[in-house]
Amino acid sequence: MNKPIVQVQALSKIYQQRKPKKNGSFWSKFRPNKSALEDLVAVDQVSFDIHRGEIFGLLGPNGAGKTTTIKMLCTLLEPTGGKATVSGYDIVRQADQVRQHLGAVLTGERSIYWKLTGRENLEYFAALYHIPPKIARGRIDALLDRLSLSSRADDYVERYSSGMKQRIAIAKALLAMPPVILLDEPTVGLDPQSARNLRELILEIKAEGHTILLTTHYMEEADQLCDRIGIIDQGTIIALDTPGVLKQSIDELDVMQLEIENFDPTLTEVLKRLPTVENVVSNHLEANGAWSLALYTTDSRDILPNLINLIGTKSGQIRHMEIVQPTLEDVFISMTGKQLRE
Amino acid sequence: MTTITADRPTKQYPLPDTTLTQRSVVSELRALLIMARKEWIIFTRYPSWVIAFIIWPVIFPLGAIFTAKALSGPDEASLPAFAALAGTTDYVAFIIIGLLIYMWLNITLWDVGFQLRNEQMRGTLESNWLCPTWRFSILLGPSLTKLGTSLFFLILGVVEYRLIFGVRLIQGNLALILLVLVLVIPSIYGIGVAFGSLVIRFKEANAMVFLVRGIFMIFTGASYPLAVLPAWMKGVAAWLPLTYAIKSIRDVSLQGATLIDILPELQMLAMFALIVPSAGYLIFRFTERRARRTGALGQY
Repeated sequence: MNKPIVQVQALSKIYQQRKPKKNGSFWSKFRPNKSALEDLVAVDQVSFDIHRGEIFGLLGPNGAGKTTTIKMLCTLLEPTGGKATVSGYDIVRQADQVRQHLGAVLTGERSIYWKLTGRENLEYFAALYHIPPKIARGRIDALLDRLSLSSRADDYVERYSSGMKQRIAIAKALLAMPPVILLDEPTVGLDPQSARNLRELILEIKAEGHTILLTTHYMEEADQLCDRIGIIDQGTIIALDTPGVLKQSIDELDVMQLEIENFDPTLTEVLKRLPTVENVVSNHLEANGAWSLALYTTDSRDILPNLINLIGTKSGQIRHMEIVQPTLEDVFISMTGKQLRE
Repeated sequence: MTTITADRPTKQYPLPDTTLTQRSVVSELRALLIMARKEWIIFTRYPSWVIAFIIWPVIFPLGAIFTAKALSGPDEASLPAFAALAGTTDYVAFIIIGLLIYMWLNITLWDVGFQLRNEQMRGTLESNWLCPTWRFSILLGPSLTKLGTSLFFLILGVVEYRLIFGVRLIQGNLALILLVLVLVIPSIYGIGVAFGSLVIRFKEANAMVFLVRGIFMIFTGASYPLAVLPAWMKGVAAWLPLTYAIKSIRDVSLQGATLIDILPELQMLAMFALIVPSAGYLIFRFTERRARRTGALGQY
């Protein structure tokens, strides 16, 4: 068995934050006061390994600790505790070597210069990665060609679409041909077509032998791209396995999807107390004013009469009902009781 | 929690070649130059900046010159009193030299911090910091452009005043003036780097620039002879490298001072050139480490 290319052991990040003070004077801001600080645990003892050539996903809602984890791995943040290595180099003691072995896209389109052209951006970052100019020129041409940006290579980036900017940001991360690529929410803000193209590109990058760590809060994206997924919530990895195994873990549950008109949301708590019901998540649909209900139960047949009766007593009307295959979002909901988008 | 599975994937992939991206002195210098080039390209893509840069050297000293003209009295009767303090009756050249050098140093001085702040606001600071380039290069590279353009600005000011107002600013030994400028640059960058560290720490440049710029303007005697300052203020001025730079360039240019005459100032500048950059670097290292602990790099 090969040694994992990324190893993370009990990695933690705790920020010290100033407590909000209601009656503090202006000058109190300048006085050091340790008791006025409180700990904010962003990442709590996270452990995982990433193997050479795989796409590993960190899936979780906003604020779960995904970006903090990725920032520690790319040496922008110092961990409070634990240990991690990239290509065998320690992220704290050998930060320079770590940076040499990874490419990262953190803030997407904002990580490049909009007043430079696409080509100028890549020339700039190639020099910062110490790539000799001759080699850099060849790689830049090849990358621009491959990412279908050759015809716009000499336009200012500010005139690019979001998808094109994101591709330049990814080209920047690939310039030095690092073994590990870190992608933080790579498809956020992209239109569906650009997001689809980018996902295909990520799979191509993987096929070339790069190892990829990506963070996302889109379950379909994690499901489609990742060999293994760590589901992260409140700084802790609550589940880690292949998408298939994770979904199997709630296989014994029936996932009932309902669309209800005139639904009384207070009924959600009542439904949760029904026998065989594990969890219920209700959501107001802006588009048609109805409510969607996801109900997780060990026996959908048993629950059905009760369900119809309860909703009917509150004058709700069931417009649609089906039992669906569990998704990664269902895994997350069954474990945390909340949705990924919350 | 599900335990970590270690049995996939099994396929062995070739490791991409990273041996071509090893750091060397040459590659680090190349990185430094491309950072300067990047700033130059961005600068020239904002034409209003270029126009302001050409006009500003003429405009800035005029206020002080007309104030001095008004105070010189009828038939410039108060000039002997000025000469007793400044060592020259040419108050126009005295003011222009002081203010132009002050402006040049000022631009260079704050540029390190402003560049950092700009990168932070654009969102590109982290992507620079992710590269295996020496941190100090990332700090200094972009400001090399400003060093060059502001030097051009200094020369432009000298030419503009010669052509528009007929003022001859350089009458002494030009090589000595250049020596002073070369000696003051390390100190300016040292202060600039320390200031850049404050930008990372407090994420705000303008308030500190206004405060410290005012202090420098008053204590270095940019537009008046230092002799008019109270004793305690002269004491403060003695700790500022800019004071020595402005005084020695005035002495050379307006009084024909020689190397021997300005040797004490040159010695002080050399001493500052050793101490200030080292102190600036240490402050920066401390702040950068702190920023990695607090996550301040990516914050606005």
